[in-house]
Amino acid sequence: MPNRRASRNSYYFFVQEKIPELRRRGLPVAHVTDAIPYCSADWAKPVSTPLRRPGMLVPKQNVSPLDMSGLSLKSDQALLGGIFYFLNIFSHGELPPHCEQRFLPCEIGCVKYSLQEGIMADFHSFINPGEIPRGFRFHCQAASDSSHKIPISNFESGHDQAMVLQNLYRFIHPNPGNWPPVYCKSDDRARVNWCLKHMEKSSEIRQDLELLTVEDLVVGIYQQKFLKEPSKTWVRSFLDVAMWDYSSNTRCKWHEENDIVLCALAVCKKIAYCISNSLATLFGIQLTEAHVPLQDYKASNSVTPKMVVLDAGRYQKLRVQSPGFSHFSSSNQEQRSNTPTGDSPSGVKISGQNSSVRGRGITRLLESISNSSSNIHKFSNCETSLSPYMSPEDGYKSFSSLS
Amino acid sequence: MSGRARARARGMALSPSAAEVGRIQASPLPLSVALSDSEASSSSDHVGTSRISQKFEGDLSSGDAGCTFKERVGKIRREMMDLSVCTREKLAHVRDCKRGSSGIPVKLVTNLFNLDLPQDWQLYQYHVTYSPDIESRRLRIALLYSHTELSNKAKAFDGVILFLSQKLEEKVMELSSETRRGEAVKMTITLTRELPASSPVCMQVFSIIFKRILKKLSMYQIGRNFYKPSEPVEIPQHKLSLWPGFAISVSHFESRLLFGADVSYKILRNETVLEFMMDLCHKTGMSCFTQACEKQLIGLIVITRYNNKTYRIDDIDWSVKPTHTFQKWDGTEITYVDYYKQQYDITLSDLNQPVLVSLLKSKRNADAEVRMAHLIPELCFLTGLPGQATSDFQLMKAVAEETRLSPLGRQQRVARLADDIQRNKDARFELETWGLHFGCQMSLTGRVVPSENIIIQDHICQPVSAADWSKDMRTCKILSAQSLNKWLVICSNRAERVTESFLNCLRRVGRPIGFNVNHPKIIKVQENPAAFLHAIQKYVDPEVQLVMCILPSNQKSYYDSIKKYLSSDCPVPSQCVLAQTLNKQGMLMSIATKIALQMTCKLGGELWALEIPLKSLMVVGIDVCKDAFNQGMVVVGFVASINPRITRWFSRCMLQRTTADVADCLKVFMIGALNRWYKHNHGLPGRIIVYRDGVGDGQLRTLIEYEVPQLLSSVKEASSSTSPRLSVVVVRKKCMPRFLMETGRTLQNPPLGTIVDSGATRPEWYDFYLISRVACRGTLNPTYYNVIYDDNGLKPDHMQRLTFKLCHLYYNWPGLISVPAPCQYAHKLTFLVAQSTHKEPSLELANSLFYL
Repeated sequence: MPNRRASRNSYYFFVQEKIPELRRRGLPVAHVTDAIPYCSADWAKPVSTPLRRPGMLVPKQNVSPLDMSGLSLKSDQALLGGIFYFLNIFSHGELPPHCEQRFLPCEIGCVKYSLQEGIMADFHSFINPGEIPRGFRFHCQAASDSSHKIPISNFESGHDQAMVLQNLYRFIHPNPGNWPPVYCKSDDRARVNWCLKHMEKSSEIRQDLELLTVEDLVVGIYQQKFLKEPSKTWVRSFLDVAMWDYSSNTRCKWHEENDIVLCALAVCKKIAYCISNSLATLFGIQLTEAHVPLQDYKASNSVTPKMVVLDAGRYQKLRVQSPGFSHFSSSNQEQRSNTPTGDSPSGVKISGQNSSVRGRGITRLLESISNSSSNIHKFSNCETSLSPYMSPEDGYKSFSSLS
Repeated sequence: MSGRARARARGMALSPSAAEVGRIQASPLPLSVALSDSEASSSSDHVGTSRISQKFEGDLSSGDAGCTFKERVGKIRREMMDLSVCTREKLAHVRDCKRGSSGIPVKLVTNLFNLDLPQDWQLYQYHVTYSPDIESRRLRIALLYSHTELSNKAKAFDGVILFLSQKLEEKVMELSSETRRGEAVKMTITLTRELPASSPVCMQVFSIIFKRILKKLSMYQIGRNFYKPSEPVEIPQHKLSLWPGFAISVSHFESRLLFGADVSYKILRNETVLEFMMDLCHKTGMSCFTQACEKQLIGLIVITRYNNKTYRIDDIDWSVKPTHTFQKWDGTEITYVDYYKQQYDITLSDLNQPVLVSLLKSKRNADAEVRMAHLIPELCFLTGLPGQATSDFQLMKAVAEETRLSPLGRQQRVARLADDIQRNKDARFELETWGLHFGCQMSLTGRVVPSENIIIQDHICQPVSAADWSKDMRTCKILSAQSLNKWLVICSNRAERVTESFLNCLRRVGRPIGFNVNHPKIIKVQENPAAFLHAIQKYVDPEVQLVMCILPSNQKSYYDSIKKYLSSDCPVPSQCVLAQTLNKQGMLMSIATKIALQMTCKLGGELWALEIPLKSLMVVGIDVCKDAFNQGMVVVGFVASINPRITRWFSRCMLQRTTADVADCLKVFMIGALNRWYKHNHGLPGRIIVYRDGVGDGQLRTLIEYEVPQLLSSVKEASSSTSPRLSVVVVRKKCMPRFLMETGRTLQNPPLGTIVDSGATRPEWYDFYLISRVACRGTLNPTYYNVIYDDNGLKPDHMQRLTFKLCHLYYNWPGLISVPAPCQYAHKLTFLVAQSTHKEPSLELANSLFYL
């Protein structure tokens, strides 16, 4: 039995599209569910319409990704494979308008992302902000203390601006050709743009990288997929979520060690999580570790209802042995040991193995069906009624309470 | 009580009114600046300039002078702006009389003094032009004052506008003078306005007059207040000294002009920055000295005793030494050492000290280029209490003993100031030339309204003290409480034992008050915010009613992350408690009681009620505050009662991007509240009374023109036939007047429920003062209420009594509070959002007081 929630994947829409035709054929189809048996054969057929060209399914590196700015999203598959970059640069505060130097870039984070594969690689670096304009030390210090808390001076990890920029460009655009679209939140856009220009000046690299806003991207995807435009306020609140603030493998090492929530890399990754969480579910993509920090949540699924302590006094000993937290910490370490690969510039991490989920939606659909049915099977062995944490609805809710 | 992260707003301390110094650009060059205390004029005149004089010269002649004057013409201080808003004349029912009559009369002494003026007193405003034009304010003033026609008249002149208390013979007068360099200058003085004594402009002139008078009493202006450095109070054991001083104001109350004075103190440390640096150097060693120095000093406020001005340390320039030179305003080079010797006769002892850099706030516009002052550490004294001092009990006690004056002590201090003003020859002369007469202290009659009964589930209780009835209702059943069946407790491993005993205690205290607490699910986690948040994410499901977190420390990130997640991402009421609080032996019962009450409120329970004669009344509280991180964001909180008994509340909060503290979203809030009311009561409320807190000086007009229409239109839209009647009351906790009760020979704080609606109120407003608090030490501050809009037409008596009743309904404190409960709820909500979550809370929580 398929997961009720997952019904709105691309297959759902495919079937919906087919319904009129089936009715014309005189078949008794009232709902999508009725039509499914008649459509599966069509779905399995390799189609050569321009919309579902097989070549589109696997995005190639040298094929220039979609131009999201024009919102010319051709189809689901193209959208799924499309690669976006999320970029953010932090500054030690913002100096008043009459100053020549408006920002002091100190940290940069960037992730390579596609709906289908989640976060494919990330780039992070601290930046040497340079000399702090005389008289503004307090201003910068206060701004830093209230946000990312990166020291304004004597911070060894800060790299030279020219080098950071070079590495960033190598990360975003390793091969010649068109530049991929790069996004950041609209609130940060002015700052990121200024910092890029500033760093270009010092490094003498000229690249007119066009910075777009994530809000527009999300609106565009929704428009494309559902022909409806969500409000910007809604999109903004959907991108500003606290649930991943402390997730493992989200912040950079320094911010994680010092337990500071605001980190440039984390901001980018959280955008990716938010988009995966709400959009990928709608597209029927199974979420992987690359989409959202699953390892923190898998733990909750592994707790069997019997281990959950309902009465404080009686079950305490039992609960201590529950594997929940040790699981979390070990998976954390695994992620840590992920070493940078090959010739990629410093600061770049390529996530390797978890890109196995590829290709047609049908395979994933079948997989997810088999997964969920096995889950249900598992539940029925335990006391389903006692397991509020495990019903599919709730599992879903914990991820996308906003969608 | 519970683990509230009481974050202090960032050190955005008052920036000095720095006007004296030259200007330099934001450049890494060690450009330098001199400090000078200008004697002739009271404020802004530029004496210094920088090495890049070429550029500045141009700047000064064109932009600077013109700009100063343009802004000064017709610019009225913000608090004066409110005075021109007359709301009372539109309120028919209080046009003749806004005074109540119920209650027992009580005789009160105020800190206000009569200022008598002749009946026909007028102020004459002139405009002065110079030909050829002169930009130096000093020179303008000197040229004008040298004339005999003006020399013996009372006058105030800022370089463009001249105020006189006597009319000149001609309407346009021409005078000519000669500068020292021999240039002939023609001055034209034109009469522009004749102002009656009640005009707001006159108030400003009176303030200037008193500023001069206090200067003559050897007081210095620091910020807005005046202090007397010659009579410091020393606290040697803590290296502190206090300068006594006053906050003053002159303004028009009911029918007369009154001078108000309140005692104020300036806390100074008897330690120069240089001494502080030396000390630090000994402690940390040379290697990381500069870093430590920057860390500790930057952001602190210092005072330079040679001119009694305050500055914030924005930077330290290690490359400049006192032996280096800088360029004075006239272009000559001088070393810092020589400058201080010449100007102030101060010899610098340490010639190797660095200089402190302070950014000067531009008075004119924010876009002007940055001006910086270089200060010598040796001459700078630290002010205010150091960060760690606020937690030093002994120190705070010593300071409080001096600064918290008893009513009698305060009266004596104020009376002495009045005495000094009357005795000082110069001061008296100044007053006399203006035609002012400093009169006696004003006393008036207030009324004490009867105390209120508290309604609990099965009986009505008359509390022993209205200030705190926690003892009276310890075993009483509260009005309603949901039982707590499914809830989580998250604690660290270390806090397991205390948590256990606390939970036992909670169950014990919960039963008698009618709050059933079931066994929670206890989750033990590691001591870090991430672990707490993960546990919450993992275990919270839709059936969980409440999450309690026993926090290991008051580190802000615990509280912030938990609150942010549980108030917007996953809306569940949460209760944070510091483990440290639970460790207090012997206090556990009372702590548990308070937490139990808080938890019932968070679950939507009601604690107590009051007899409110008005049926179908909705009360609303609105507060506005700035977001702690994002300066451009303003948090607006709105809390409305949704039942006639005024025990259940609907709370909403929104972040908006503005510079002014004015709310945009009131219509949405009000319609939401009315819908909620409709759902619960199957009808609309007959009356709505809105209490608006968080109003700054000069915002009254905006409030009337922008916020009241929003509320009105939403109320009108709610019903086509008879819409609810609306009243809007502005609540202010800070006000000038203080009231003291005479009892025999001594003075006391007035009793709870004292209302003052005459004498110290304003003729153009429907306003009153209410005392709804007690102070065990020090002097009480009354709360000021100004009814700016009133459709309800309640008698002043009823309005005052209702306001007093509403001060009883704050469920976080079993007693009276200083503002009406909805205001305090709104304040609590905005504080939570502004300090911790920075995000709009979920609508699902709007029906409970989740932010308590």
